[in-house]
Amino acid sequence: MAGTTGTRTTGAAGARETPPGGASGRPRRAAHTRSRARRGPRLHVAVFVAPFFVAFSLFFIAPICYALYESFFTLQSSGLGLTEPTIEFSGLANYATALSSPAFVGSLGRVLVFAAIEVPIMVVSALALALLLDSARARWRAFFRVSFFLPYGVPGVVASLLWGFLYVPQTSPLIDILSAVGLPHDFLGPGTILFSIANIATWQFAGYNMLVLIAGLQAIPQELYEAARVDGASELRIAWHVKIPMVRAPIILITVFTLIGTLQLFVEPLILKPLTTAINSDFTPNLAAYNQAFGQSNINLASAEATIIAIISFVVSFGFLRVVNRKGNRAW
Amino acid sequence: MGSRIRTAAGALAAAAALGLAAACGGGGGEEPAKSAAAASGDPANPVELTFWSWVPNIQKAVDAFNAKHPGIKVKLETITPGPDGGYAKMLAGVKAGNAPDVAQVGYDSLPSFLVNGALEDITQYAEKDAAKFVDWQWQTGVFGGKVYSIPQASGPMAFYYRKDLFDKWGIEAPKTWDDFAAAAKTIREKDDSAYISTFAANQAPWMIALAQQAGQQWFSTEGDAWKVTIDNPDTRRMAGFWQKMLDDKLVKTEADMSNGWYKDLQTGDIAGWIGGSWGDAIIRGNAPKTSGKWAVAPMPQWPGAAKFASASWGGGSASAVLKGTDHPAEATAFAVWLTSDPESVNILLSAGYGWPSIKDTSRIPNLQQDDTVFPFYGGQNIWDVFKEADAAVGLDWRWPPVSDALYSTLTDNAKAAVEGDGTLADAFAKTQTAMVEQLKAKGLNVVATGG
Repeated sequence: MAGTTGTRTTGAAGARETPPGGASGRPRRAAHTRSRARRGPRLHVAVFVAPFFVAFSLFFIAPICYALYESFFTLQSSGLGLTEPTIEFSGLANYATALSSPAFVGSLGRVLVFAAIEVPIMVVSALALALLLDSARARWRAFFRVSFFLPYGVPGVVASLLWGFLYVPQTSPLIDILSAVGLPHDFLGPGTILFSIANIATWQFAGYNMLVLIAGLQAIPQELYEAARVDGASELRIAWHVKIPMVRAPIILITVFTLIGTLQLFVEPLILKPLTTAINSDFTPNLAAYNQAFGQSNINLASAEATIIAIISFVVSFGFLRVVNRKGNRAW
Repeated sequence: MGSRIRTAAGALAAAAALGLAAACGGGGGEEPAKSAAAASGDPANPVELTFWSWVPNIQKAVDAFNAKHPGIKVKLETITPGPDGGYAKMLAGVKAGNAPDVAQVGYDSLPSFLVNGALEDITQYAEKDAAKFVDWQWQTGVFGGKVYSIPQASGPMAFYYRKDLFDKWGIEAPKTWDDFAAAAKTIREKDDSAYISTFAANQAPWMIALAQQAGQQWFSTEGDAWKVTIDNPDTRRMAGFWQKMLDDKLVKTEADMSNGWYKDLQTGDIAGWIGGSWGDAIIRGNAPKTSGKWAVAPMPQWPGAAKFASASWGGGSASAVLKGTDHPAEATAFAVWLTSDPESVNILLSAGYGWPSIKDTSRIPNLQQDDTVFPFYGGQNIWDVFKEADAAVGLDWRWPPVSDALYSTLTDNAKAAVEGDGTLADAFAKTQTAMVEQLKAKGLNVVATGG
């Protein structure tokens, strides 16, 4: 407050100091400023957003267009292949190849199953952590908030390597303990590998999603809690009937994040692949596209697969948003 | 497209010009001398060459070359290993017209480089040096009678084993695959946690080497078509052998060169490894406390084999002269010197580049006595075993122009077999089908197959 007053005084003093002629000049200057306000900002805006748009076009739009372009061509050799190959336009042939490949379609099915497992686990655990830290009885909030968030700071590759050590029998203290008490401990078998990957993803991102939800929880007006307490609501009831409905938007946000993340699953299976026979090079759609590009040197097919993955991610996430928004604010 | 045609036309014109120059050089007798003179360059105005490689410490060999060849100045650029992106970078370089003059390319990848039009025909500069190199290694760079690359090194295979444990269990190094199975059984009986080896379904080059040793080869050419014979009787017999080992649980199924496997090497839970000559560094590096307890024996043999047969893990590596170089003669001279000069070979050997491609290894000091290696194997000169193995690698093995696809397909199929989805024999049959489809999809000719 004091600062504001001070500024105002200085401003007034400054105005008083202006010579008499200035008084007549002032409206003109104001008019000039106003006209610049109409014309100028457009230039300012352009200057300020240009770096973003240049980088965005160069490193985002252009590669996408190039991938789209590449996906319509095929490299054709002939005979023994000792002569230089030709590039031929092949229309949607690469898309047909991708969608008729059991390996690629299988990988799509696999990540959908994975999403069905991972998304609920992620949302529920992030919400549970957020509510615990937000509850009135929570102690050492800052400490726990940082600890839960810490795994997010670990790069995905490192996280996968770390868990990889914990999943391999020869190096894992975890498995020593589990086998000592007689619990099942095959983390890398064909039946358990998806859960082992889900575990890594949850460990890594639950803390981040929790922070998003905590931000939402802290924005809830205290009056609502007071009103609920006056009505005799318990902490649990407040959580269920006040807090969760109030963070509906962040919950939807983290659901979409997780959905996109699971559909684009890549790093974890790539790192765990050498450790297990249960992960092949077409385990997830992203891994399949990577394998086509760098394992089988078929950039064109890889581009088609990447495009398909992008379209599916787009459709699934926007489809999800439509569904929850159609149900509207009434039904949850 | 347009620029590519222009580049190709330019290369053709250059090649034609060179041919003309050679033809105008006068009598045939003078020609070799002339090309040799051209290859040594002019010290006052040295020819500059760029060389891409990922062999550690290869700089020392390049320095040695530069010191001895004032007319040629080679600049080394260290790149990521080929399969991890190095090859993609080279092919992009050829496409863009800024590729290095000489690049390290695996034997298994040379055909796909050729299919991509990335190799320079160096027949006229290299032919005279053919005799310096081991036949099968030299042949990896020869296609349709033309020379495209100079062999560097290979990875001949042998059986590394824990001699102390074998002695304790009362078994000897297996001479045949039947001995191998019997030894595996004995080990399982004598020690609850120990295995003779792992079946590395993750390791396509390893499985391919097993097939290579078994007899009939996988790829050959017939006229202007590729013949694919992955699913052949010899490979099926080899697959059947390992399938039985898996069924009887006589081998582990963990990935080789993984953390679990290294741990097993340290504890002796894995007592043997059919590995390449460069595998020595891997064992020494990861199980240093087992020093003195290892020994190396030749690869077990199939019954009824006419002569001793071995194989090379993933083939090996070559120095390829890439399309677009302005100095093919100097590039070839460098590539030849790098892997045939005893000093250079000795440097590369200690850098771990593999088994030398030259025939005469008698002048390579490190192969006669190596105080860092031999004590680890209780004083055994293990290089004698690998020398014999390298000489026993089949001459007729050809890599297809789709070996990267071969690797990933075979690995996937073998992993499925280990998980119980079909047998190993099925895995090779499925790989055969996939490779035929892959070659056809590229527009290449494929003849009816099946061994």
